[in-house]
Amino acid sequence: MPKLTASPKEVGEALTLTGFMMDGFEEIEYNNKKDYLIGLEIRQNRADCLSVIGIAREIAAYYGLAVEYPQLGDMDLGEEALNIKVNAPDSIKRIQAVRIDNVENKESPQWLKQYLSCYEINSINLLVDLSNYVMIFTGYPSHIMDKDKIGDVIRWEIGKDFGEITTLDGTKIKLNKDELIIRDDKSAIALAGMIGAQYGSIDANSKSIVVEMAVYDRVIVRKNSRSLRIITEASGRLEKDLDPEGTDYAMGLLLSLIKKHCGGKIASEMFDYYPDKKINQAILFDPKMPSVYAGVEISREKVIKALKNLRFEIAEEEEMLKVTTPSGRTDIFLEQDLVEEVVRLYGYNNIPTDALPALAITEDITPRHLNIIEKIKDILSALSYDEVLTWPLTKKGYNAIVNYKEMGEALIQNSVNEGLCELRQSMASGLLTQLGEYQKKNVEYINIFETGKIFGKSAGKYLEYDMLGILLYDKGKAIDRLRTTAEALLRELGISEIHYKNAGRKPGIANPYSCWNIFASEENLGIIYKTRSSEQINIAEGNVYFAELDIANLVKSLDKTLAKPTLEITKKIVILDANVVLEAGESINDRVKDIRKKIGESNIWSLIIKDIYKLPGDKIRYTVRVSYKELGDQEAKELHLNSFGLNKK
Amino acid sequence: MERKIIDKLKKELSGITVSGDLKSLWKKYLSKEGEVKLMLKKIAKMSPEEKSAQGTIIQEIYEEAVALFKEKEEFLRQKGGDENLKKQAENLGYEIPKVGHLHPITQTIRMLNKIFMDMGYSIMDGPEIEVDEFCFQRLNVPSNHPARDMQDTLYIKEPDVLLRTQTSSVEAHVLATYKPPFKVVCPGRVYRNEKVNKSNHFIFHHYQGIVVMEKVGLKDLFGTVSHLFKKIYGPDVKIRFRNKYYPEVEPGVGPDMQCFNCQGGGCPLCKGLGWIEMGGAGIIHPNVLSMAKIDNKKWMGFAFGLGLDRWVMAKYNITDIRTLLGGNLGYKYYENENTL
Repeated sequence: MPKLTASPKEVGEALTLTGFMMDGFEEIEYNNKKDYLIGLEIRQNRADCLSVIGIAREIAAYYGLAVEYPQLGDMDLGEEALNIKVNAPDSIKRIQAVRIDNVENKESPQWLKQYLSCYEINSINLLVDLSNYVMIFTGYPSHIMDKDKIGDVIRWEIGKDFGEITTLDGTKIKLNKDELIIRDDKSAIALAGMIGAQYGSIDANSKSIVVEMAVYDRVIVRKNSRSLRIITEASGRLEKDLDPEGTDYAMGLLLSLIKKHCGGKIASEMFDYYPDKKINQAILFDPKMPSVYAGVEISREKVIKALKNLRFEIAEEEEMLKVTTPSGRTDIFLEQDLVEEVVRLYGYNNIPTDALPALAITEDITPRHLNIIEKIKDILSALSYDEVLTWPLTKKGYNAIVNYKEMGEALIQNSVNEGLCELRQSMASGLLTQLGEYQKKNVEYINIFETGKIFGKSAGKYLEYDMLGILLYDKGKAIDRLRTTAEALLRELGISEIHYKNAGRKPGIANPYSCWNIFASEENLGIIYKTRSSEQINIAEGNVYFAELDIANLVKSLDKTLAKPTLEITKKIVILDANVVLEAGESINDRVKDIRKKIGESNIWSLIIKDIYKLPGDKIRYTVRVSYKELGDQEAKELHLNSFGLNKK
Repeated sequence: MERKIIDKLKKELSGITVSGDLKSLWKKYLSKEGEVKLMLKKIAKMSPEEKSAQGTIIQEIYEEAVALFKEKEEFLRQKGGDENLKKQAENLGYEIPKVGHLHPITQTIRMLNKIFMDMGYSIMDGPEIEVDEFCFQRLNVPSNHPARDMQDTLYIKEPDVLLRTQTSSVEAHVLATYKPPFKVVCPGRVYRNEKVNKSNHFIFHHYQGIVVMEKVGLKDLFGTVSHLFKKIYGPDVKIRFRNKYYPEVEPGVGPDMQCFNCQGGGCPLCKGLGWIEMGGAGIIHPNVLSMAKIDNKKWMGFAFGLGLDRWVMAKYNITDIRTLLGGNLGYKYYENENTL
């Protein structure tokens, strides 16, 4: 770009704004002159820009300049046909290949070695270095084989016959036998699109060579590259959507350079496997669209100029434009793709950023449980509990001792750590781990909670539940402290009729004699238990208590509850006790429900179980305290006696 | 001569300290047989002359004695009350109440939620176990995109069931579930197949914003993101927007903030670039809308996604990302931060 006057830094900044972020800028010496090395982050959909030419085109488009390409010498092809068989047509878009005889391979000149070193590529020999140079320059990798070391027939196919390949650098690679390879009758010559093999490789004595340049279906290159864990400069380019049209120029440049620096004569005709020739597509484009998308006016003239600078061909069709994509641009399909092209060249920095948009008012669609989770956090922190966040993956075997739900485990196939592949089935796993960490660090007051997801599997479906876990550690007995915390939380949220039942399914970690389900009316909200010591919980002294609430059930319970705690007090509250004696196994909750019904909710200020006393013969005496509202002393007493069946009249 | 009895009474009253002794003294002077009462009784037997000479004086002595007793009684009563109050009095202790704390991630999400709720956004969440369709396909991520690799995604059942790699999956659910127009933000936990060390974690937190209206553009997106950064970092923060590729948006945007450490000069924190990448954004790709059966000729939208963990670490001076999730995060027992 002879007319480019911008400084290297300005060029880097221009590229940054237009989609190629400058992530390095270094002053270097190249060919005995001061020069600059700009590091760029290349957009994943711009295979054409993994090359000097591609980036030069971008710079030219931004500054409205023309790119001058290196001129190619005469090709002067031979007449012999290369014996190449393509047995994997679905994986190959294009192959070009020629044979050159009488080349002289040698050490590369200094400029070439230095050029490649800027890209952290070591010099091997002149032929290999020229191949790499052309790859950097044009974006198209190539591969050169020593014709004298390989058989007469070269084949591209899925390599079922070979179990191993030794690559150019001497590494032995075990093959999965589903890789695309280049081979002769004896051995694999290359992992196509990735790396050459030692077999058939060129050296300083190579005289007759076969040069091939190919574009593959990117999926197979990516798949092979990932499965064999081989990532090379070549695979990095060929796993992108390279335009097969581009090999014409790239191959021509490589052959020109070989001829210039290594001599030799092209002995064969150009082998060109190109079954589906790419046709540059045309898009009917409304030039007003960039203005709509940017939110600022971009004139038709500016739209056309931007697209032309980017090498698009424009035909004006009344109000619309017929836009044909240039070669190399495999990322353009839709009008919106063209919008981006125009707007990025117009400059995001020319779009105002200082005005808060006046967007239309929209309905609040926040799900209720999210608001409730926030309220839970506030209540628990006010109750002096600390929020922690823990890993949702647990150690092997942990779920088996903390789970109490009827569900299987959800496992990670490729976990970051082999020992951590189970997704937690209870918040207990993370909170107990946190407890262990706090104890190691001598942290006191371990009252912690976490809201998050637990996971499972049932009938082939993966499940997840929003849960709250609360953990309390105390040197003394404290199950009731945790119960009152959980109950204060629930009541503060607006849930009443809370009661406890001996848990149906108990986690293995729970003391089975201190493990209850928490209910609000008929809704099972969760579990509360005292843990027992185990290998997983190694508490030197003291006790660990855990409660877990299912947020969805809590929301359901709230939906059913119509608590109206606010009232006007006009009369003295009358407080009366009564004893209820039940046989073992009889439910106090059922009895209380019955009593409440008899008294009538409108007369009750509060009703609590004040005392529980075990009587001889498995009977239990409950002392129930009722506070009556809006009733006189006598009225309350009469109702009380009647409701408890104590009225002797 | 009669006045001497008052002097004597005053002397004896001054020695009284408890109400029991006062009663005994009352008996001595003012009971039926008490000295002052007996003097009163004598008046009745006096001649008219004596009465006029001494009767008035005796009556005055009686009244003065009664008054002295009442005064003393009131004094003792007050004195006794103080003692009682002293007995009941309580002192302030030295115990400091332990306070509860919210996690820094929660605090940060709340701060962001507040900014967006003030602008009329709703809050949304979605599943963490996702299917390929919602994590990738509906976001226009090509089938061979690197994000789908086992090296980048944690799979439960490859290739379809996975842990969400981005909160954009919530965007896909919102688009599929709700009819536009809407404005939504989705904070949430995401997972990637990353080795855990001081700087990287396999779990981190995203904050996603989605707006779908009849007409929105980059100007609206830039205004929104600028407003957010200004709210967080102050009105002088410098922001730039550059073109960036994300499959789910077109055009795509990379918002950067000028490095607060070097003010753009270049330093290790910003890797010498002067700018810090803050996330990704753009105009929702028409394919993303059409896959959600939203008419992309009628509706447009913008989306942005921000990583939360780095912000939180910077705000709370946390140097090791592992601290945020289990392990080393501690709270001072008696201190809390003012988040208002």
